[in-house]
Amino acid sequence: MGKNAELLPGTLDMLILKAVSLQPLHGYGVLERIRQISGDALDIPQGSLYPALYRLEHQELISAEWGVSDNNRRAKYYTLTAAGRRRLREETVGWNRLASAIAAALGTKPEGV
Amino acid sequence: MVKYLRSLFRVPKSRRDFEKGMSEELRFHIEEYTEVLVRSGVPATEAARRARIEFGSVVSAEEDCREARGLHYFDEFRRQLSYAARLLRKTPAFTITALLTLAVCFGANLTIFAVIDSVLLRPLPFPEPGQLVTLFNTYPKAGVERDGSSLTNYYERRGQISAFTSLSIYSYGTEIIGEPGSTEREQTMRVSPDFFSTLELGPAMGRSFTEEETTSETDHVAILSDAFWRQRYKADPKVIGKQIRVNSVPRTVIGVLPANFRFLSSDAQLFLPLASRPEQRTSRDRHSGGNVIQMIARIKPGVTLAQAQSQIDAQNAALEVNDPQARMIADAGFRTLVVPLRGDHVAAIRPTLLLLQASAIALLLIGAVNLVNLLLVRASSRAKEIAVRQALGASRGYVVSEVVVETSLLTLIGGLLGLAVGAGGIHLLRVLGTDHLPLGSRIAFDARLALAALAAALVMGVVFAAPVAWFNLRRQLGNALQSESRSGTSGRATQFLRHGFIVSQIALAFMLLAGAGLLGLSLQRAMAISPGFQSDHILTGQILLPWATYPEPARLKFVESLTEKIGHVPGVLSAGVVTNVPFSGHSGKSAATVEGYTPRPGESARGHYSYGVGGDYFRAMGFSLRAGRFLTADDSRPPERVCVVDEDFARYYWPNASAVGQRLWNGSEGGKDSEAFTVVGVVGGVKQAGLTEDEAQGAIYYPYAFRIGDSFFVAVRTSFPPESLGLALQKVVRQIDPDVPVDNILSMETRIADSLVARRSPALLASLFSGIALLLTAIGTYGVLSYAVAQRRREIGVRMALGARPEDIRAQFLGLALRLLGAGVVLGVIGAWLTGQAMRTLLFQVPPFHLAIFAAAAGVLGMVSLGACLLPSRRAARISPVEALAGDS
Repeated sequence: MGKNAELLPGTLDMLILKAVSLQPLHGYGVLERIRQISGDALDIPQGSLYPALYRLEHQELISAEWGVSDNNRRAKYYTLTAAGRRRLREETVGWNRLASAIAAALGTKPEGV
Repeated sequence: MVKYLRSLFRVPKSRRDFEKGMSEELRFHIEEYTEVLVRSGVPATEAARRARIEFGSVVSAEEDCREARGLHYFDEFRRQLSYAARLLRKTPAFTITALLTLAVCFGANLTIFAVIDSVLLRPLPFPEPGQLVTLFNTYPKAGVERDGSSLTNYYERRGQISAFTSLSIYSYGTEIIGEPGSTEREQTMRVSPDFFSTLELGPAMGRSFTEEETTSETDHVAILSDAFWRQRYKADPKVIGKQIRVNSVPRTVIGVLPANFRFLSSDAQLFLPLASRPEQRTSRDRHSGGNVIQMIARIKPGVTLAQAQSQIDAQNAALEVNDPQARMIADAGFRTLVVPLRGDHVAAIRPTLLLLQASAIALLLIGAVNLVNLLLVRASSRAKEIAVRQALGASRGYVVSEVVVETSLLTLIGGLLGLAVGAGGIHLLRVLGTDHLPLGSRIAFDARLALAALAAALVMGVVFAAPVAWFNLRRQLGNALQSESRSGTSGRATQFLRHGFIVSQIALAFMLLAGAGLLGLSLQRAMAISPGFQSDHILTGQILLPWATYPEPARLKFVESLTEKIGHVPGVLSAGVVTNVPFSGHSGKSAATVEGYTPRPGESARGHYSYGVGGDYFRAMGFSLRAGRFLTADDSRPPERVCVVDEDFARYYWPNASAVGQRLWNGSEGGKDSEAFTVVGVVGGVKQAGLTEDEAQGAIYYPYAFRIGDSFFVAVRTSFPPESLGLALQKVVRQIDPDVPVDNILSMETRIADSLVARRSPALLASLFSGIALLLTAIGTYGVLSYAVAQRRREIGVRMALGARPEDIRAQFLGLALRLLGAGVVLGVIGAWLTGQAMRTLLFQVPPFHLAIFAAAAGVLGMVSLGACLLPSRRAARISPVEALAGDS
């Protein structure tokens, strides 16, 4: 996993919300989807995914429902709730602001001071 | 927050679903991943292995998931609960002591609170009960504190006082109900037409009384209580319009009251119109209430009691202007008081109940202190274990919650046992006579009370946990690990706390003991008072004669043949009748005018107990004759205008002359010469209403023919035990008229004993409480002293090795006990003095600070607590230095 970027604390929730916002997913699907949309750059430790899902469900940002997977097995599917959608929007704005601020800070040249 | 709580509560229900779903989900994940790996070319077994490894520990993932949902709290709670249960099982002596203490203390409080709740707290069963008031006339300077209201009052006030939405009157009575041959006596109420509308609770079926039904020619209607309707008419829905015989006169049933209708403590089964003649409603009879008719009113919303009172005062003042008796009535201090209905009804019992609740709370405090002490002792024996666990990473929060779980488990089980004790206690109170309390029959042990008790138990558990948790967390870890193993002294602060608890326990127990002593002595002093007649071997019973079949001459004949027939019954020495027998709870006072007596300025007419007597009443009752002669059967046939007065009366009006031969008139005005009664005898004073009655109001006894009432009492002096003649008495009455029942058959001694129930029951309960308090104090002292001895084993061993004698050691611990006792008693004396002041009204001829009682309480308490520490101090003196120093047991 050396080539993968380390996950910053607090960003897992945001990624899960994003992944689930695209379409209802089961747990393993969330993992796959994050890997896919990050261009294989982000790898989530598998064991920490479920506590995060349970926490988000408990906060009613996502809701869960039992469904049938592609290979015809019972699986728990997560969908984004209205509150989750709002949260995702806020987090995205916040993250973008933070990222550009840090990028600007890191991009500063000595003569620019 | 609410959502969070809701999801927490939802969890335990579906806990199994949750666990199943979670493992299924994780399994699905691993299998899905395995499949992906297999598809990418990894061999199946290798794929499964890799999937499991990459996923990591399923167990810890599950644990994390539970924590994400807050479920770990439940798991922790369950663990702590079973740990606490195990610990409690391991120390049965402590657990049983604690549970019994809690059960008794909770039970006692619950019992008393059930009474307070029903008598003082729960609202009367009418809409807006706070608006209901009662009005009564009082003539304090004439010795008449309470005289009810007159018919005139009612007709003058009705609709005239703007502070009231409605005003009505009622009176209690008993009537003979039923067909000839199967009659029964029932409690009844006579009420004015607006009675039910004042209460805002009227018949559930049919209608109430109308204004037209208030004359004795038109009042042949009746309203039934729900219970009576169900019992007598088997809940017949077509009962309206049926006839019911009341005192041999048929009446038409016009209504049935709802099941929840209960007016104060009345057990009335039948409601009749309060009928009167117009001449009874005139201003002449304004002040002739006689405490028979009572008045209630409903205050308009927003109007205060004081406004209502001032309107009544203003009306009274306006009416007195034209009253020829105005002067006398003003001299008597006449006023009409407006007071809250419920408060007035329970006023007499309120201080007693509050006192008992205070004692029960004191008992609970003693028990609580005891338990905290025992818990602290227990905690210090586990200090090392807790320190080790903290060193191994148990958080402070965990240590605290463990204590809370343990103490709450204890108090909850104690609370459950307390419910059983409380139910038993309420039963015991019934035996002690709560049914005679105002509103006493409402006393019930319901779910509401049980829930409140359990909630209190839970709160108590948390309160108990506080000092123990403080003890557990206070010490530094290193210290705790060391101090238990090396030196044997406990922290100064905890020792101070424990000793402080013992002192307060002793002080509270002293207060309870002293209080019980004061009540007991009051009871004893009351019982020692002579009623003024020979109360042994007297049987009494009440007979009610319906007016319809017994007009005046027939009544006299009935009385005459009754006294004569009873006289022939074997074992009967003498027999007589009286309008009201002493201690029967019915005693009316009325005015009399003495010939030649001019009231001093400001002196008002006095109310005297007035009786009509027939047969050989005085001899039957064992009155003592001071001068002249008794009235006998001969005075009633034909009725002579003579009377007998008691010595209080004679002393008041003729202090320097003989009363015999003097003349007086019945009523507050002198009358014609021919209506005067001549005093023919003076008898000893008799307690009329109760042994503790201290005002000698004076009494007049007229021949029965002059004071005929609805009912009369028969009194029989017997040579056998009086109760054995009850059947004979009933038989004699049945021979004269099979339709006339005899009620209220009691020996005079029973009546006197019953009159003391308001003193005896509290005194009994207070002694019971203080007995339990003594026991608890003994347990507490014993527990703390034994612990002190066990803890100082090593120190004692050293001292004995250095030459201290066993007596010194024993003296040291006894000295400690004495110091604690001394401090406790000093505090207790101060407390007892204060409570004595507070319970002054309940004491009889006993000062609130009674030295002998206080000394006795201190003595008993001293004996018990020194006895409790004898055993531990003996054990201390027997410690062998070798053993104490060698072993770290």
